Amino acid sequence: MSAPRSDAHGAAKLRWEVTLFLKPILVGALLASTAVAPALAQADTDITVVLSEELDLVDPCMATRSNIGRVILQNISETLTELDVRGNEGLKPRLAESWEDKGDGTWQFKLRDGVKFSDGTDFDANDVKHSFDRVFSDQVSCESKRYFADTTLSFNVVDDLTINIKAEPAQPVLPLLMTLVTIVPSETPMEFVRDPIGTGPYIMSEWTAGQQIVLDRRDDYWGEQPEVTKATYLFRSEPAVRAGMVAAGEADIAPQITAEVADNKATDFSYLNSETVYLRIDSQDAPTNDLRVRQALNAAIEREAFIGTVLPEGTELAVAMVPPTTLGWNPNLKPPAYDRDLARKLLEEAKADGVDTSLPIEIIARTENFPNVTEVAEALTQMLVEVGFNASLKMVEVAEHEQYYSKPYPESEGTRLVLAQHDNSRGDPVFSMFFKYASEGTQSGVNDPKVDDLIARASAATGDERAALWSEVMAYVHDDIVADVLLFHMVGLSRVSERLDFKPTTATNQQLQLSEIGFK
Amino acid sequence: MTKMIGQRAIASLLSLLGLMILVFFLSRLTGDPAVLFLPIDATEQMKQEFRALHGLDLPLFEQFTRYVWDLLQLDFGESLRKARPAIDVVLEAYAWTLPLALITMSIVVVLAIVLGSLAAFNVGGFFDRLVSIVSLVGASAPDFWIAIVAIVVFSIGLGWLPTSGVGTPWHWILPVAVLFIRPFGLVVQVVRGSMLSALGAPYVKTARAKGVKNLPLIFVHTLRNGMLPVITVIGDQAAAMLNGAVIVETIFGFPGIGKLMIDSILQRDFNVVLAAIMVTALAIFIMNILIDIAYGLLDPRIRH
Repeated sequence: MSAPRSDAHGAAKLRWEVTLFLKPILVGALLASTAVAPALAQADTDITVVLSEELDLVDPCMATRSNIGRVILQNISETLTELDVRGNEGLKPRLAESWEDKGDGTWQFKLRDGVKFSDGTDFDANDVKHSFDRVFSDQVSCESKRYFADTTLSFNVVDDLTINIKAEPAQPVLPLLMTLVTIVPSETPMEFVRDPIGTGPYIMSEWTAGQQIVLDRRDDYWGEQPEVTKATYLFRSEPAVRAGMVAAGEADIAPQITAEVADNKATDFSYLNSETVYLRIDSQDAPTNDLRVRQALNAAIEREAFIGTVLPEGTELAVAMVPPTTLGWNPNLKPPAYDRDLARKLLEEAKADGVDTSLPIEIIARTENFPNVTEVAEALTQMLVEVGFNASLKMVEVAEHEQYYSKPYPESEGTRLVLAQHDNSRGDPVFSMFFKYASEGTQSGVNDPKVDDLIARASAATGDERAALWSEVMAYVHDDIVADVLLFHMVGLSRVSERLDFKPTTATNQQLQLSEIGFK
Repeated sequence: MTKMIGQRAIASLLSLLGLMILVFFLSRLTGDPAVLFLPIDATEQMKQEFRALHGLDLPLFEQFTRYVWDLLQLDFGESLRKARPAIDVVLEAYAWTLPLALITMSIVVVLAIVLGSLAAFNVGGFFDRLVSIVSLVGASAPDFWIAIVAIVVFSIGLGWLPTSGVGTPWHWILPVAVLFIRPFGLVVQVVRGSMLSALGAPYVKTARAKGVKNLPLIFVHTLRNGMLPVITVIGDQAAAMLNGAVIVETIFGFPGIGKLMIDSILQRDFNVVLAAIMVTALAIFIMNILIDIAYGLLDPRIRH
């Protein structure tokens, strides 16, 4: 059979035809490429923020969810009070000008006068009451409700600019809790809204699902006018793309990038992100019901080896469930020293006393929990095996992880260590300690009357006494009962364009106040 | 032909029904949406309220009958995450994926047929080898890596194209180019192989002997006979693109159906998952029917 290749003349002709055919395409492509200029026409004071996750909702009552908070919190919707995480001002007034403890669990808030919502209506005490009614309504799944889990609030509107809020049981940190609830107009329906109305310096002027959200500065804002006139939020899940967008001038801020792509000292910032990584020990199970076994778990782990390798530089060793910026943080606590011999010795001692140290210990870790979580979990497992634990690793998806993470815990032969990450950027340990250490706490592995008592007293205390009691809780769970294997305070990395005058902080994990952004 | 299409449609409808039942019950087996929607330290009461609000506390069978009843009225329910009708969310995403797939597949089809045919005609020559190597690399290259490299080179390095997103025609160039590579690699190989055997057929010799020029010989006389296996591959690739452009959509921030489906599965947004699967399945069935019609048009023997 004659193959076309034998036809030399045909092949030559074909080559010519191919050239003729392809040439215009190539020339066209080249011409087109020189004409491309993806310049973004925008004012000097407009910025673009690229977030890792698309916003599924823009309802103000969901602002405690970090991706929603970064767009809405204090930009569109404001809270009565605000926690200062940049300086040392602590709790600051926002929509409330002042507050006072009236005793008997009641706090009186004096509201700011002359504040208008972006729909033109006046802000008053009824709006505050309605905002809370909405949070607690079972018609809508508002997230900030969880911070008031065991507290009942009742509201008494004294006059337009005065409201009394009574908490049962009494809440010494009620003004701090006010940082979690955004205020909406009293006309807001009891379902999720798609056009958030707030008192903040910006309004949402555009929301194109899947693409972008645009905020524009308001002229009639009650406070000082921020420098940023317009902010466009884009969503890209790939960190290299987010970082690349800032490098290419398509975006100004990328709040979450990974250590692998954070390679530019001029634009990339690292900061403690208020997340703490730990292994939860269940002290009801054998063999971890023995103190020496828990101490051995802690001594077996070489924490420093993770930093700068699988975890970014700047990651700190944890001694408490909360980051060092939190009230009552105990500076005297030291991370357990890495000592394999000690770990082996402790295990031998326990074994000699009849503790079955050969029981299986399963580490449960969640995929995608934080960058390199698999590598961290594998190394932890290996370190435990090396000192003689019968340890293994199980990586699970988020819904399965939740089954191990929250009570009631499933039965197991031996015990499970749950690798988890806990966030507390709220300034007070009350948002962590009960859940993690009290006998009744949903994610607690501890059952100790002294801990329960300390937490109850600290939660109810105020001022210096509160700080001292929290300090004591932290020391007791860390040194005396060795409640868990605390590992790391994590860092976040953000890339910020050099044209901006803005330094990300711990707060960037929850919010991104446009009014804090300036231009160089 | 009409009978064949009718039979196909009925079979498709039954498959859709089976798929719906399967997906409904399988999705319920994967876990509780209340766990994923609400924060990890949400109270049990909050979870109960959430389930009650969305009918997730009802017995499974009742949930199913309600779902089917609503579906018969073309109501796909609400997206748990977005608090909007699920079908709106899905159709919005489709409005992005459909043109992306259409543009990409058109370029794939035209270039693969032209280059594959020319390579087959020039078998063993430089052009043939070039096409073979390029197509082999294309068919096996990981899209994820290519996408990132393309962004690094063309957007960050040269500054020619936007990194990601949608908005201008320039935004489409990189996603289309990256999405193009793998199907192009596959289709061009099939075209080349298929054309190679077609070009060896006796009637081609006859045509050549009659003095038919090269290009008409390839594209008029031989192509039609070489197309049947190609159409199958093109159909498969197009179907894969309709629901599988996940990586490209994710990296380039393209709000399409692939990304939506993965996100909704991870978030247990059942109504969106179901709506997305049903709409995708429908699209794939329609495409299969179109392929059958194309088969019939190309080869009269298949029409009967």
